[in-house]
Amino acid sequence: MNLQTSFIPAYSNEITTLMTMPITPKEQKSLLPWRRIIIWIFISLVCCVLAASIGSVSIHPMETIMITLSKFPFINVDKTWEDSSYTILWEIRFPRILLALLVGASLSVAGATYQGLFRNPLADPYFIGVASGASLGATLVFLTNVPTVIGNFNVLPIAAFIGGTGAVAIAYKISSTSSNTKLATLILAGIAIGSFTTAVTSILMIRTEPDLRPLLSWIMGGFIKATWADSLFLLPYLIPSILLVCIYSRILNTIQLDEEYAESLGVNTERTKKVLIIVSTILTAAAVSFSGLIGFVGLVAPHVVRILWGGDYRSLIPTAALVGGSFLVLSDLMARTVVSPGELPVGIITALFGAPFFIFLLVKNRSKIY
Amino acid sequence: MKSSKFCISVFIFFASFTSLLACSEVPQQKPEIAQPPLPANVVNYIQKEPLKPEYPRAAAPAEIKSDSPKNETKKITKIKTPVEKKGANNTSTSNESLKATFPVYITDIDGRAIIFDSPPKRIIAFDSAAVETLFAIGEGHRIIGTHDYVSYPPDANSITKVGDAFNMDVEAVVGLNPDLVYLFYPSFKEQLENAGLKVLLISTMGDDISEMADHFRMWGHITGAVMEANNLADDFEGRILNIESTLAPYTEGPSVFQDVGGLWTPGKNTLVGNVFKLLKLQNIAHDIEGYQQISPEVIVERNPQYIISSYSDIFSDDPKYSGVVAVKNGSIYIPSADYLSISGPRFLMGVDELANFIYPGIFK
Repeated sequence: MNLQTSFIPAYSNEITTLMTMPITPKEQKSLLPWRRIIIWIFISLVCCVLAASIGSVSIHPMETIMITLSKFPFINVDKTWEDSSYTILWEIRFPRILLALLVGASLSVAGATYQGLFRNPLADPYFIGVASGASLGATLVFLTNVPTVIGNFNVLPIAAFIGGTGAVAIAYKISSTSSNTKLATLILAGIAIGSFTTAVTSILMIRTEPDLRPLLSWIMGGFIKATWADSLFLLPYLIPSILLVCIYSRILNTIQLDEEYAESLGVNTERTKKVLIIVSTILTAAAVSFSGLIGFVGLVAPHVVRILWGGDYRSLIPTAALVGGSFLVLSDLMARTVVSPGELPVGIITALFGAPFFIFLLVKNRSKIY
Repeated sequence: MKSSKFCISVFIFFASFTSLLACSEVPQQKPEIAQPPLPANVVNYIQKEPLKPEYPRAAAPAEIKSDSPKNETKKITKIKTPVEKKGANNTSTSNESLKATFPVYITDIDGRAIIFDSPPKRIIAFDSAAVETLFAIGEGHRIIGTHDYVSYPPDANSITKVGDAFNMDVEAVVGLNPDLVYLFYPSFKEQLENAGLKVLLISTMGDDISEMADHFRMWGHITGAVMEANNLADDFEGRILNIESTLAPYTEGPSVFQDVGGLWTPGKNTLVGNVFKLLKLQNIAHDIEGYQQISPEVIVERNPQYIISSYSDIFSDDPKYSGVVAVKNGSIYIPSADYLSISGPRFLMGVDELANFIYPGIFK
């Protein structure tokens, strides 16, 4: 326990205060701040509509509306649009928007969970080795002669998923004894395994035939290849995982103070740690396997919610999911329009535009919290 | 015990994930890529699918026959005199005699003259194009070292490798005691010069295809095989002229998109971009500078008639591209080798292959 508390930075008191800011009486009554969540669902929808109507190819707003309407059941719309507009909207833009929304939500929820569980404000979804493991898996597919398609399905997302979950599984095995799991050891083991897999990835990148652009754009993250199928594969992981984290959010509220304190309240901390680590790892690995390594969202979206609305995990988790999702939808919109007809990796945009906004929030609220 | 249970549970989660993928993944890539028969000629092709207005139509092949450009080209090739050297990176011995004359002065990237009093006998050629060129002019025996990715000609495989393309083993280079080290990027230049070696790094190739011929001639002057190099360069330039004159009757060819992986595509001011220009192809990424990722929306909108896919065909089975003319017609070209990525003597084989795919039966 000593090791864990010493791992918390010196300003942890303030952060603990931040994470457990007094809950307003209104929120205490109901489990969730429904009004805020509904407002954020509305904001996410606005972001999606914005992202659907802007792109490197301009489509008339009326066409956009008609094509969208034609997809609703019981509405008959005469076909007045061009085929190319239909393909661009339905096969390219909509899948991208949906995937960005889901990936943003997954990463934010995973980030928030890790931050609470490890009691560390620096924790992000890639904290204990998911990212480096996933990139090793992806690199193996890109740079060796592994076929990109086996049977009926793509190898890349699977390899990335194996790599990501595998790295965390090894770190977990290293850090857990028969009776308990030391979180500090888990972090260190995760960092060690992350460095090791990164080194292997670098060796592969240096030693293999050097057309690295596809690999580099995967590592920087993006939705350029998004399809409807990708989102459909993500959903079965995303929705149960988010619900599970929501169920555990009250326990997260107690465990982030101190494990012993939580145990004294009757929380089974071992089971909580195990469930939350598995859930967040799978959330992250699944998101990463389709979109590549998109940085910054998972770290910052939970903090933004904390700064603006406090650190009660019951409301933080759903709000962070919506904030992260909308942020990533807007980032992807910029990624595909800023240098049109070219594209930028979305990871660059999230940091380039997200960081100044986050710094603005920090400066504005510095007297209050940090 | 608990940890092993955890591992098992992660495995189960993972297994469920993969099985889900296996059940529902839509195949996106075809393992085998059969080339569908090409449109017999451009005219038929245009009748099949009208071009977008911004890409003017190609002229009818009938016109070409009446011009009979083939014969003209041959004449041009024969009459052609060695082209004057241009640019700072070439031999300053610009006399047109085909005899080897020493000393030879080569201007390097910093504008300094590298002097050769006699042909170097122990060359480390750290560049695929240089190795191919030296073998092509019959001077491959001078190469004593190269890098891992050099795989052509087959003789080059037996040459000592002194590092992969981006990491040179400087100690091994010094140990081989070369009298010339040829580099294609500057990282190790200073280190090698400090070790007392003669290093040649000429200014990087621009996007001009004909510059390659100048490189061939440069190697001829350095090694003394001036005649062979000149023949190689003349042949190279002749073939470019041949392509130019064969296509002269065409106003503008079909539109094309090249994917070099992950929708990265060559735009203007690239070597490949200029190959498209030579073949009168309309690059749909004409407004992109250098290499960039292109938006899939733009591919759909600009509707290329041909797609060049460098590794595998990721377009045919993707619903995004089902409306694109190239996909509808099966006009997706996968190069048989990476000729176009090495600016050596085989570069034109890549150009020829592409030309024959797009203009079948026009080039002899």
